Formats: sequence, C-alpha cells, structure tokens
Amino acid sequence: MPHGEAATAESFRSARVRRFLVAALVFAALALSPLAIRSVYLQNVLVLTLLYAAVSQSWNILGGYCGQISLGHGLYFGIGAYATSVLFVTWGILPWGGMIVGGVLAVAVALLIGYPCFRLQGHYFAIATLVIAQSGLVLMQNWDFVGAARGIQWPFGPDSWWTLQFARAKTPYIEVSLALLVASWLATVLIGESRWGYWWRAVKDDALAAESLGVEVFRSKMAAAGVSAFFTAVGGGVYAAFLAYIDPDAVMSFRFSLLFALPAVLGGIGTPWGPLVGAAVLVPLGEFSRSYLGGSGSGLDLVIYGALVMAVALARPQGLLSLVPRRRAAP
Amino acid sequence: MNRRQILTGGASAAVLAAALGAGARRAEAANEVVIGAIYPLSGASADVGLQARHASETAIEIINNSYAFDLLCARAAGLPKLGGAKVRVVFADHQGDPEKGRSEAERLITSEKVTALIGCYYSNVSAPVSYVAERYGVPFLCADSSSPALSRHGLKYFFRPAPNDEMFTAAMFDFFDAERAKGKKIETLGLFHEDTIFGTDSAAVQNSLAKARGYKVVVDVKYQANSPSLTSEVQKLKTANPDVLMPSSYTSDAILLVKTMAQLGYAPKNIVAQAAGFASQALYDAVGNLLGGVISRASFSLDLEKKRPFIATVNDLFKKQSQRDLDDNSSRQLMGLLVLADAINRAGSKEGAKIRDALAATNVPASETIMPWKKLVFGPDGQNPDASPVLLQYEGGKFVTIFPDNVAVTQAQWPMHA
Repeated sequence: MPHGEAATAESFRSARVRRFLVAALVFAALALSPLAIRSVYLQNVLVLTLLYAAVSQSWNILGGYCGQISLGHGLYFGIGAYATSVLFVTWGILPWGGMIVGGVLAVAVALLIGYPCFRLQGHYFAIATLVIAQSGLVLMQNWDFVGAARGIQWPFGPDSWWTLQFARAKTPYIEVSLALLVASWLATVLIGESRWGYWWRAVKDDALAAESLGVEVFRSKMAAAGVSAFFTAVGGGVYAAFLAYIDPDAVMSFRFSLLFALPAVLGGIGTPWGPLVGAAVLVPLGEFSRSYLGGSGSGLDLVIYGALVMAVALARPQGLLSLVPRRRAAP
Repeated sequence: MNRRQILTGGASAAVLAAALGAGARRAEAANEVVIGAIYPLSGASADVGLQARHASETAIEIINNSYAFDLLCARAAGLPKLGGAKVRVVFADHQGDPEKGRSEAERLITSEKVTALIGCYYSNVSAPVSYVAERYGVPFLCADSSSPALSRHGLKYFFRPAPNDEMFTAAMFDFFDAERAKGKKIETLGLFHEDTIFGTDSAAVQNSLAKARGYKVVVDVKYQANSPSLTSEVQKLKTANPDVLMPSSYTSDAILLVKTMAQLGYAPKNIVAQAAGFASQALYDAVGNLLGGVISRASFSLDLEKKRPFIATVNDLFKKQSQRDLDDNSSRQLMGLLVLADAINRAGSKEGAKIRDALAATNVPASETIMPWKKLVFGPDGQNPDASPVLLQYEGGKFVTIFPDNVAVTQAQWPMHA
C-alpha cells in the first residue's frame, strides 16, 4: 500500500532525525561539562569514562553488531599506544600522526588475525583472540627496541596541543576522548544503517542462514574487525599521551581486553549508547570505590565493584539500556 | 520482592553505606601535616602494600610521640618547627597499574591537599607518580622502587634515600672483588633472570659490571615469569656450572628454581641472589633446607641492632602492628617516611618548594637511621649516592650480615657448601 509505505518512511526519517538530535545534545553537554566539573579528580574520571566508552564502542562494532566476541582488544589498544609513543619519543613524530599509524597497523594485524580465525566459531574465536593478545604482550615485554619490560617514558615538555601534553589541564584530554567517542559512535550508527550493518547483524543472528541468503559472512567479519581495531588503536594512542608513560602491562594486559568488553555488555551489547552508559557506570564506580575505600587495604572496593556488576548481570542481562522504555523499534 | 530486586537493592545499600562511611572519615584537624602514601593495597602485591601500611603507621607513631633515642624524628613529639604539628598519612591503592597510580597522586594532591607523596613499590608506578609530583611542585619520596631510570629524568621533586638496582648489583661485585683479593676463585658467572622490568634491568647491569670488572658470564638464562616449568633452563645452568649463580626471581619462580635444581641434581657452587624471591620468608619456609649458605643482597639487616640498639625497639613497634620483623621493603618504607617528616620539619613549612629545598639539603649520619647506609644525603638527581646495601648469608635457618665489613657480623662462608 503506497500510503502505508510513505508513513513508514516518514516515521523512519523522523526517528533518525530525533536520534541524531539526541546524540548532538548529549555530546554537546559532555563537551561543555568541564565548565561545570572543576575538580581535577572528577575531570580525570571523566577522561577515563569517555575513553573507555569510545574504545568499548569500537569493541561493540565487532562484538555487539557482528557478534564476534573478542577478548583480545588489548592487543590493538597496545599497538596504538606503542606506535604513538615510539614514533613520538624516538623520532619526534607528533602523537596525532602516531595514532593514525597505530590505527593502520592495528587494522593490518586485525585482518591478519581475522584471516585464519574467522573460520572459527563461537567460543573458539574468543579463545583465539585471547591467546593472540597474550602472545603480543609477551612479545612486547621482550622486544628491546620498544623498551621491552622497561616501557617508554614520554619526555617532560611544555603544554601543547601539538604534542598532546598538558601538565595539569584535563580539559584537552576530555575533548580528545569525546571526539574519539563521537567518531566511533558515528561510525557505528552510519555503518549500522548501511548494507554492511544489516549484513553484520545477520551474521550475528545466524551466520549459516545469512550465508545462504547471499551475505558475505567472511568479508563482513573482516570489515567489522578492521573498523573496530582502528578506533581501539587510536584510543590506545590517546591513552599513551594521557599517561605519558607506557609499559606492556600498563596498556595491553588481559585486564584491558576485559575492560573494553565490559561497558558494552553492561550497558547494552549491540546498541549505539550501550558502551557510554556502561562506561558511565563502571568507570566512576571503579574509581570512586578505589579512591575512597581502597586505602584501607581491605579489598572492600573490589567486592562492591564485583557485587554491582553481578547484580546488574542478574537483574538486567540485556544491559542497563533495556531499562529505558523503547518508543518504537530501532531502524 | 524477587531475588533480583533483593540482590540489586543489597548491592546499592552496600555502596551507599560505604560512601557515607568514607565521607565521615574525612574530617580534618587544623594543625597537621598530611602525607599521601601510594602503595599496591590490592592485587598480586597486596601483601607488600599491607606491610607498607604497617611500616607507615609505625613511622607515624615514632614521629608523633617522643622516644628516648636518636633516630630521625624520634625525640620530639610531632614536628617542633611547625608548632608540634602531627603527621597523618592518607593511603591510596594503585593496584599495580601506572594509570591508577597517576590518578591517585593527582587526587591526593588536589583533593586531599597532601604536603608530600611517598611510595610506590612498583617502579612503573613510581615513574608516572614522580611526573605528577613534579608538575604540581609536590615532593615525592620514592621509598622502595629501585629502577635506576627513575632518577634520570632530571626531576627536581624526586628523592630516593635507598639504593637503586645498579648500587645493589655493584655491592655484589664489590663482594666478589673482596673475596678474590682474599685468594678465592671467582671467574665465571651464571645469570638467571625473569623477563619483566626487574629481571631485565638486573641482568643488564650484571652483564655490564661483569665485563667492567673482569668476570666471565658463561650462561645467561632469561625465562618467562611465573613459568610452570624450569627444567630446560636449569639444564643449561647445570651444563655451564658457573662459579657463582646469580638469580633475579620473584618468590614463586625462586621456589620452582630451587626445587628443579634439586631434582636435576644440580648443586651450584655459590648462589648470590638479587633479593626479591630470595629475600622472602615464603621461599625459606618452602625449601630453606636446600638453601644453606645462599647469599642475597638486601637493603636492611636486623643484625644492625647490635650496633644501634634502638633498631630493636623500632622493630618491636613494627612487630606489634604486623606480627613480623622489619624486612627489605618495610624498613625502606618506614625510613622513607621519617626522612620526609624530618625535611618537612626542617623546612618549617607545608610549601612544596621549601620542603624540596630542605630535602635537597638533607645531611644525616647513618647512626640516626635504621639502615646500613654510609649516610643520608641526596645528589642533584635526587638519589642518595651513599645508600650502601648489604649482603646477607643464610646460615642455620637465619640470615647474617657478611658484607660490607663495617656492618658485617661474621665472615662469609665461601664457597657456600664449605
């Protein structure tokens, strides 16, 4: 029926406009938040929240949309952090360039890993990513050119946007992390609306059925892995600039792989806002509990952190976003 | 109410209660000096962090009360030049993560308004913490991280009273030289080290010192930390059979090494270890019977109490808190806080720049410390160049100091199975 089709298309468009409007409002509020949040400590928490949200969003592209659960994203994060640090400290190449190089390197590695591993299914893929990331960690710990276990210390320089070094100011890192979050959010939503997005979701739901309908399963997975790895590595570069010191354990231990998956899973896997919601709960919770309870040495902070994650997992296995009533099905 | 609601409600209540409790603790007294201590209070090294807490609290007891002996900060109650101000320590947990250490340092400086920082055991955490301290102009006393690189960044607010790894290793070679001078045969060395920052640095220094002083490294085995098996590694050591085996291992690897050597029938001629696992009680509890005569470097020895009786008193104070004797780490953590409090007192101010200058001007004789150092001063890089380590030998179920001569209580048994 022509009339009905037009109405559907109309509501589809208005839903899309509304979605971008909401996003613009949320991101604008976040961009202006340093004006209201003056405490260095809280700004620090905000940097980490946005950065974890951005990287978790990148993880979400592969894990949430395409259904390939990776427990090795710490590897791409580490590649980005190392590329940025080595290029800057050894050759003076600005971190902005280093992040891009790191991103491209990570894409290459992701495709190299994906080529054999995407033939694996389910848990086997997750296990393969975990093992490969651990191998990468051991490699970095022993590679003298990149400082091996000693790591890389960024030189002590003046405040500058070029080198992304700021002695006390946190606002620049907030804005950079936010920019990365916006970029990964846009990539997620735009690709999600495209043919690739439908392919990814088809692969996630049932790879066999998708293939029988003509979806290019293998290429879908490879593309998702590439996009995901790129943003993760750029996040690693931002983190390295923020910390101004990296060593293998500080950027690519298994803990990171887990921390990138957790916000997306907790907030709502395969949704554009899940990672931000998850990170906004997990990161401040971890920071506050450690800062105000960790000093006792009793481990109570970790108990509370674990208990809350468990409570959410039991009460809302679909993620926190499922608490928000849906007005209509997402496009 | 179903089970999920109960779970969710319970967890939220726990968080709320904890947050309220934390808020209530943060009342501030007028005349006090607050020092921020950043240690690994949870995670793999939580035990070290817990001991650091006990050591810091012992130091606070010494600073804030009056004692009748000549240890730094012991005589007066509080800090006399600040009107008898009491010192309080705020503890923070870095969980072994450089980012968390950095963020805790910033929080302690900006929110808790600490006068100075102390920590952090992990060298890779002390690195970013020292940068934060420099940027805020707050002195950082690096009590117990020994990576030599830390004092090479040209920082003005970084101070380390204890030895770095190069000084530790140099002490071993000083000892070899001394034994050689007595006519003992020491020509070949065997290195055995794990692959994280500690073992990597240690072996690099050992290799360069061996070359400089004319010893031959006949075998250099690097192994993966927490390895499930060391059989092939020990075979290499056995084949080379060096005059001295020099392991740099943490506790679990050290236990495995000693067990594997026994299984493969390899009895090294001598063992001179880079502390860590070989300074931990757990190793000697597990395989002490196989370790008679083993030598380890250390930054502290309880033997010193024979020369400075107040060390026994300090040890008793510490023991009341932790039920243990002072060791390599806790002695440095305790002394570090005393060094810091003394400088704050001499500065007569809570201002970072003035405390920095007071720290830089520190000149304290060894007799006012609990450490075997020659004396306490700071070079322009913030390192105490006169922090001399000691070598201990495990004999009859306990450690005795054998080197250097000014603190040794007995002659070394060399070779160790003599």
